[in-house]
Amino acid sequence: MRVVKTGIAGTLESSDVMITVSENTSKGIEIELQSIVEKQFGKQIRRVINEKMEELGIKDATISVNDKGALDCTIGARLEAASYRAAGISHVRWEEK
Amino acid sequence: MEEVILDLRSISLKSKKDLNKLRHFLHERDLDLDTDIDYAIVLEEDDKIIASGAMSGPVLKCIAVSKSFEGEGLIGKIVTYLLLNAHHHGVNHLFLYTNPKNIQIFTELGFHEIIRVDETAVLMENRNHGLPDYLKKLSESKVPGNEIASIVMNCNPFTNGHRYLIEQAASENDHVHVFILDENLSQFPTDVRIRLVEEGTADLKNVTIHHSGNYIISAATFPSYFLKESKKIIDAHGRLDLQLFCRFIAPALGITSRYAGEEPYCVVTSRYNELMEEILPSSGIKLYIIKRKENGKDVISASMVRELLKIDDFKKIKKIVPPATFKYLESKEAEPIIRKIKG
Repeated sequence: MRVVKTGIAGTLESSDVMITVSENTSKGIEIELQSIVEKQFGKQIRRVINEKMEELGIKDATISVNDKGALDCTIGARLEAASYRAAGISHVRWEEK
Repeated sequence: MEEVILDLRSISLKSKKDLNKLRHFLHERDLDLDTDIDYAIVLEEDDKIIASGAMSGPVLKCIAVSKSFEGEGLIGKIVTYLLLNAHHHGVNHLFLYTNPKNIQIFTELGFHEIIRVDETAVLMENRNHGLPDYLKKLSESKVPGNEIASIVMNCNPFTNGHRYLIEQAASENDHVHVFILDENLSQFPTDVRIRLVEEGTADLKNVTIHHSGNYIISAATFPSYFLKESKKIIDAHGRLDLQLFCRFIAPALGITSRYAGEEPYCVVTSRYNELMEEILPSSGIKLYIIKRKENGKDVISASMVRELLKIDDFKKIKKIVPPATFKYLESKEAEPIIRKIKG
């Protein structure tokens, strides 16, 4: 999957996360993380992000994450949605995945 | 705890009743309802506003929460909605002005401080390295020299008056950096305005033409230029814009002076010139306000060209614009724009 524009998913509300995925041509995955639990879970959040990027086959992207204490599964889901939007894919058959 | 049901809705800017309700809510929080907002949203409980937010171009405004609901994350709800709405309109780089005591709140929502002017206002953006990245890119155009001039102009469209100002600066300096305003709010679109300046100055070897970008007289740093606001607001915006220029933009290019045309007509621009006199020299940047070039008894200006277009006086236009601009004005490409100017 290739990032061709900016995609956003999530909210800035408590226990959620807002993720923006945008182009980063041939510069790899860059993560800008801001989290209220960065000290405790920063490493874990980055791992979730990198795993998801690998799963989606995205090699270049700037991922801006503003986390309000979301669970890993929430982060993964928001990132996946933002990535699909950033790739310009609007018809995702979520249930078959 | 019982869950409170809140309605989030956008306010119709046409509804006097809605606007008054919002204005009243903001007044209680010592805020004004700006006249230039593109849209506004509110959170309501039982028909009573408890939080609000609005957008004006790329600038978030009127963000407020009722005292009894503070600390419940309602600002997050409001900002999320504004961010998503702007995103769907293709605007992802956002700005806001706030009181320095609120920096923490907006930092948590992903905003970063760009510049602070005294203790009353701070400009923030939702990019981590927005300004530093811009400056890094800008400094790639740095040219060595002792006297490096700068000019900021709109060129709507490029006239012999603009050309005269650039020539003047080019003859007195090692190099001139010309910034053409990027905001697409003028009659002539940005790409046309820049192209005409480039073509009209191609013979001047020590001139570089730049897009002004987000940090020089933009909708974010100096919204009043485009809105013609009250004097107090013009001053606040103008000061911030000029401090940004002195502290960051001038050093990135080694700029030692700024040239501007005398402004006999526009109140905002003439006030901006006064603010330059106040701020630039004290920051070590020389300021030259150049008397405008005249054609007969008239001062040449872009607004004069637009007036002449209205009455199809191409003979007179030819005398006050460079050949490239004239050729463009006569072309098919310019037809729809001229039709719009005629109204």
